Amino acid sequence: MTWFSPWLSAHLPTLLVWIGAICTLGLYSVLYRENRLYRLFEHIFLGLATGYLVAQTWTDVLLPKWWVPMWDKGQWVYIFALVAGLFYYFIYSRRHNWLARLMIGFFLGVASGRTFQAFVNDTWPQIPTSFKPVVPHPALRDATGKVVAKAVTWPDAINNILFLVILLCVMSYFFFSFEQKNAVLRRSAQWGRWLLMFAFGAIFGQTIMARLALLIDRVDYLLNDFGPAIGGPVVMFAVLMVLAALVLFLALRPGAREREPGEEP
Amino acid sequence: MDLLRLLQTIDRRFIYALLLLAVSAPFFLSIRIPVPISPQTQALYNAIEALPPNSFVLLGADWSAGSRGENRPQTEALMRHLMKRKLRFALLCFDPQAATLTETMAKRLQSEYGVQEGVNWVNWGYKVDLENFLKALVLNVPQTVSADINGTPVANLPVMQGIQTARDIRMILDVTPSETFKAYIQFVQGTYKIPMGLAPTSVMAPEAFNYLDSGQLIGMINGLQGAIEYEQKVGYVGQATRAGLSSSFAHLLIISLILLGNLAMLLQRRQRARLLEGRR
Repeated sequence: MTWFSPWLSAHLPTLLVWIGAICTLGLYSVLYRENRLYRLFEHIFLGLATGYLVAQTWTDVLLPKWWVPMWDKGQWVYIFALVAGLFYYFIYSRRHNWLARLMIGFFLGVASGRTFQAFVNDTWPQIPTSFKPVVPHPALRDATGKVVAKAVTWPDAINNILFLVILLCVMSYFFFSFEQKNAVLRRSAQWGRWLLMFAFGAIFGQTIMARLALLIDRVDYLLNDFGPAIGGPVVMFAVLMVLAALVLFLALRPGAREREPGEEP
Repeated sequence: MDLLRLLQTIDRRFIYALLLLAVSAPFFLSIRIPVPISPQTQALYNAIEALPPNSFVLLGADWSAGSRGENRPQTEALMRHLMKRKLRFALLCFDPQAATLTETMAKRLQSEYGVQEGVNWVNWGYKVDLENFLKALVLNVPQTVSADINGTPVANLPVMQGIQTARDIRMILDVTPSETFKAYIQFVQGTYKIPMGLAPTSVMAPEAFNYLDSGQLIGMINGLQGAIEYEQKVGYVGQATRAGLSSSFAHLLIISLILLGNLAMLLQRRQRARLLEGRR
């Protein structure tokens, strides 16, 4: 095997782009339809990601933070971390599952305590900043001439009024504690629902954008990273177009049309 | 099958083929569409520009290969800006793949900007338990991090000189496809009011606008579009700028198909209504 190591180091970059390209095309084969090749690469990807996570957790976290202090430096107290962790498995024992509950209770307490701080730092600052000036005014200064409130222009004021109207409408939609009989409240709740729909539409648009960015990255990889390995980006572009044509031919040939939802076979 | 019905029942694989063409063909075109800089990108750029020389920045990278298309150009743009300004920075990753991906990136870029690992930047590596780690980091940075990705104790590194608690960190940046930025706000930014910038994927960006409005975030790079803008600001043509035209073509195609499908549906409805009227 002495020949293998130099061969591998010489060909590793080429080998890697080939593996990357084959995996990419294999995974995208699902766009034609569910198939075994796709399943194979999906499992390889999941296995690799999980294996990587386990290995990295050991080498970067458990080894330096737990094993080395305990085993090499004799800080035996770290053994209790393992014991406490193993307590979780008593959940399977009917007689001793109180030991698992002990640990679950402990960590629930830790998480609950943390949530107080999280809420204060996360949500509280958003409450005072929701109180926006709706009347235009020049910058306000104190006796020393220091600006205490920034100037509010007409466009700022209109923007702030819009913000407040939207905030109140959306909040009124979430009054579930009592029946919304009041006409004003009912109308603002209806508006709130529509405004939420606009927001969901924007979020959906952003989602499409994100997914397209992932596709573009893969196409960039195939054309510009893998392309040179088979004669250049133009050759790879031609290969992609041939593959697309082949998929179209297979998809549109007589008898291969996909059934519409609800259509009888 | 008439045209109106055909337009509403196009085989999805035909759309995929069109999309592939729309995405790949622009890589061979030399057109550049001018991109206006959004206020949130400009704000983040200005905030980094305003940092005093040699300031220490915490660059969180919590992405993996799955969101590389957006998070890689965002990370590279921020890293280039930090290196260009000779600001010290530490990479902190709560995703195992990010530690390696960002390490490779920083090593590739460092010679270009004349910076050095251990002196100008350090990779704290992959860490687990996001919230508890950040809570501990606030009180004692060297003790919480202990060693960098190479196993060197961080207290011995020149880049870490003067960094004891989170108070010594001048800015936090988080490049993420998930909600990790909230933990930074909850346990680090909120505690010492440290300026924080965010680079989320487009799908996560809408959730971050509240934090921008409240001032908890000083600026944001919104997905691939934000990365294109930031590359322009830093002054180089990177992965995002190269992908810009493909992104525009793909969006145009999708918008056209949505319009076409809806138009066909409306026309078909009108056609049916007329037919019914005719029968009466």
